[in-house]
Amino acid sequence: MSKIDVQVTINGEVYREACEPRRTLADFIRKDCGLTGTHLGCEHGVCGACTVRLDGQTVRSCLMLAVQAEGASITTIEGLSDGVELSPLQQAFHDNHGLQCGFCTPGMLLTAQELLEQNPDPTEDEVRDRLAGNLCRCTGYEFIVDSVLDAAGRQAAVAGDA
Amino acid sequence: MAVQSDESTNLVGARVKRTEDGRLLTGRGQFVDDLVLPRMLEAAVLRSPHAHARIVGVDASAALAMEGVFGVLTGADIADEVEPQPVIYHVLPDQRATDTRAIATDRVRWVGQIVAAVVARDRYVAEDALAAIVVDYEPLPVVANLDAALAADAPRLYDDWPDNVVGNIEWSNGDADAAIAGADAVVARRMSVGRLLGCPLEPRGCVASWDPFTDDLDIWMSTQSPNLARDLLGETLRLPGHRIRVRVPDVGGGFGNKFDFYPEEIIASLLSKRCGRPVKLLEDRAESFVATGQSREVVIEATMAAKADGTIVALKAEVRTVCGGALGTVGVGPGWLSATMMTGVYKIPNVDVRLSPVLTNRAPMGSFRGWGQPEANFVNERLIELLAEELGIERNEMRRRNFPAPEEFPYETGVVFTYDSGQYGQCLDLCQDSVRESGWPQRLEAARAEGRSVGIGYGFHVEATAFGPSRILNLVGLNHSGFDEAVVRIDSTGRVTAFTGQVAMGQGIETALAQLTAQTMGVALQDVVVVSGDTATCPYTGYGTGASRGAAMGGASLMRATELLREKVKRIAAYQLEAAPEDLEIHNGRISVRGTPSIGVTLAEIGNAAYRRLSDFPADEDATLEERYVFDPENLAWSYGCTAALVEVDRRTGVTQVLDYVIAHDCGTVINPMIVDGQIHGGATQGIGEALYEELVYDDQGGLTTTSFADYTLPSACEVPRFTLHHMDTPAPHIPGGMKGMGEAGTIGGPAAIANAVDQALADIGVEVRAIPITPPRLLDMIETATREGGRS
Ligand code: FES
Ligand code: FES
Repeated sequence: MSKIDVQVTINGEVYREACEPRRTLADFIRKDCGLTGTHLGCEHGVCGACTVRLDGQTVRSCLMLAVQAEGASITTIEGLSDGVELSPLQQAFHDNHGLQCGFCTPGMLLTAQELLEQNPDPTEDEVRDRLAGNLCRCTGYEFIVDSVLDAAGRQAAVAGDA
Repeated sequence: MAVQSDESTNLVGARVKRTEDGRLLTGRGQFVDDLVLPRMLEAAVLRSPHAHARIVGVDASAALAMEGVFGVLTGADIADEVEPQPVIYHVLPDQRATDTRAIATDRVRWVGQIVAAVVARDRYVAEDALAAIVVDYEPLPVVANLDAALAADAPRLYDDWPDNVVGNIEWSNGDADAAIAGADAVVARRMSVGRLLGCPLEPRGCVASWDPFTDDLDIWMSTQSPNLARDLLGETLRLPGHRIRVRVPDVGGGFGNKFDFYPEEIIASLLSKRCGRPVKLLEDRAESFVATGQSREVVIEATMAAKADGTIVALKAEVRTVCGGALGTVGVGPGWLSATMMTGVYKIPNVDVRLSPVLTNRAPMGSFRGWGQPEANFVNERLIELLAEELGIERNEMRRRNFPAPEEFPYETGVVFTYDSGQYGQCLDLCQDSVRESGWPQRLEAARAEGRSVGIGYGFHVEATAFGPSRILNLVGLNHSGFDEAVVRIDSTGRVTAFTGQVAMGQGIETALAQLTAQTMGVALQDVVVVSGDTATCPYTGYGTGASRGAAMGGASLMRATELLREKVKRIAAYQLEAAPEDLEIHNGRISVRGTPSIGVTLAEIGNAAYRRLSDFPADEDATLEERYVFDPENLAWSYGCTAALVEVDRRTGVTQVLDYVIAHDCGTVINPMIVDGQIHGGATQGIGEALYEELVYDDQGGLTTTSFADYTLPSACEVPRFTLHHMDTPAPHIPGGMKGMGEAGTIGGPAAIANAVDQALADIGVEVRAIPITPPRLLDMIETATREGGRS
């Protein structure tokens, strides 16, 4: 099958790779760009493990083709921290035991990041509602919810200080 | 990442944050699909669309001719090259063998059974090639379910079997029939549990690399049991153990599903052998529903009888597990545990339990968290409530009257097991107090006043953990061991590496075992690393990381090995300090004379002396600092707990929502309460799924109708309540460190509690739950039937 060049920016770096038109965005990110933090739990759009942010919006990278992302700016789990320190959201997951096996975690973090940008002070129900599209088989969700609420609180504290 | 703590005391019992989090939070974890080896190829397998058929022929020529395809394997190709897939449990005296190979040779017996495999440049090409393989099937009559399997004229799955029954076993104690005849109240029910999938979020997979020049097999597997896998790879592929190395990358959840040994591991190895290149073979999610061991499905006919004062006098049960078309790795082991745990936590003098697992044309059964125990608990804890109602005794009072008292332990159940320790009454009190404090009775009243259907249910459970005493397991029919070996080493810088045969799969043992090792040695947590998941460098654990073994077994052996090494360190320090070893203590990595802290030496100095400056080292000690210990327990350790559920049923839709949830629990010494809480939350959520949402549904032709997360519905954040947990921590009497396991607790106690709550919510119309999951259609049906029949009046 002939290949097409796809160029995207991921976490601020430009990637230009040739891929088959049928290649999913998830496979492109994982295999062609080597960013394996994005996970595949179902490849049919339900579990949310493959969630990335495409031009700011969360998308399921298993349900998109790489060619559809041409020119886009993408954030993956690898782009959440500055490479040395955890981001406040990641730190909140660490502090609240918001992960066990860590397989759902990249999708959870990106979904939660988008939520907190749109709604910096969510209620527990709002957090649960937003996370309902991300399955976790390990945690029972409570500590993930706590992590997101804690991160919101920290953001508010930082904003209050400023 | 922040440094955790430089304190070496009070680590056990502390809510220490996990050392494994950093890589997982930043996308630096390495799961099996993240592995890429030079020249690696990718494989895919072709699965049978028929539940039962003869394979007349397989034509793979078109697939082989495709560009990018490197090889094809069929049943005929491997028939002489491999042994049948292993079954490690032989628990029935007359157990029949199913002996199927990794690829079906002449007949398929379930939808999803592997009939061919392709290895290609990448998975896309491999899947293209699968579509070009032509398999000629001759369909056979399908045994779609239990009733069909047991019918007098049922088609047989194996021609040389007289019927479809795998075998039989019976346990009796006393005279159950006579006791039932003389009882004041008797309840008899036929109850069933649906077919489930453990569903770790990361599907299974492996990367195999076979060196055709040396016949060394290097394999990375997303597995819970690398030592077992190495032995089974060796047996199946006829390779000696030293030629096989199993390594375990980060595992995205296991829940028992990744304990078992699967055909894909054999297939990837053989494909690699053929093409001389590493081969990756993953199941995708859709495949996983038929490719990964299924579990639970069972029909139990049980009778429980009691005297008027509530004393249970007898239990009879006939347990029929609905196996698939072949026995999986653990055979009928889970059914065996269901049957042997039918007496639950109660003293029942007269018992008669029978087990007869039956084959059907469904996918094989395997391991899933709970492993037979939720099924038994569901029935047992339903029956006791029904019996209490019949006798007019408050249900928890009924429980209390039948618990063994704390002083009656070790308690022999009469069916195989001896419970080591327990304070069941106290645990029930703890749960009931919490329910009261949380105001559930008032919430119930208020909801009822509004016309809402709300109920409270309880379930008490025991959990078999620290599995187990090797020789007894062998006697019972397990063709494997249950001990745990640990090795601990101090390096030349005085830092500690703990090597365990247990495997990390999200349950936090890297952290928990480091806490235990650090405290035992007297060093700070960040001075310990735990190494696991490599058969070439890590010790041998019997069984694997399942059966709630990680903390109890892995912890006990590591603690003992660390104690041995601590003694050696003290002897060396005593030599250097010219003191007596007994006068020394180790704290924060420094060995000093008790009471005179100024006289001391650091572990770094001891390490240097042991490896690099032997002039400071006693002549009668071996250089290096390393000890090993093998722990084989004398008994299982029995955790226990009480679950309470507050649920609301919508009578128009049949939807049940869990509003609140309490678990009181005793798992012995707790190494890290934060991790234990997380484990209980996760298990409880799976228990809620099991009770209300999850079911693998087969049609009447053996086709699986639930093959996506849209049909097989896992609980999401919206279906799960907050959990209120209460811990007791009575040390396990015979486990060094006192830990009991607790990984499976939540799955065991939940379903009965939820079913009991649903009964209460619908008591006015007399709905009685006899089958789980209590899905909306199933419950609506029951509500309609009960309403039609006029309910209980
Ligand atoms: S992998 Fe994309 S939603 Fe599950
Ligand atoms: S932490 Fe394992 S799936 Fe969420």
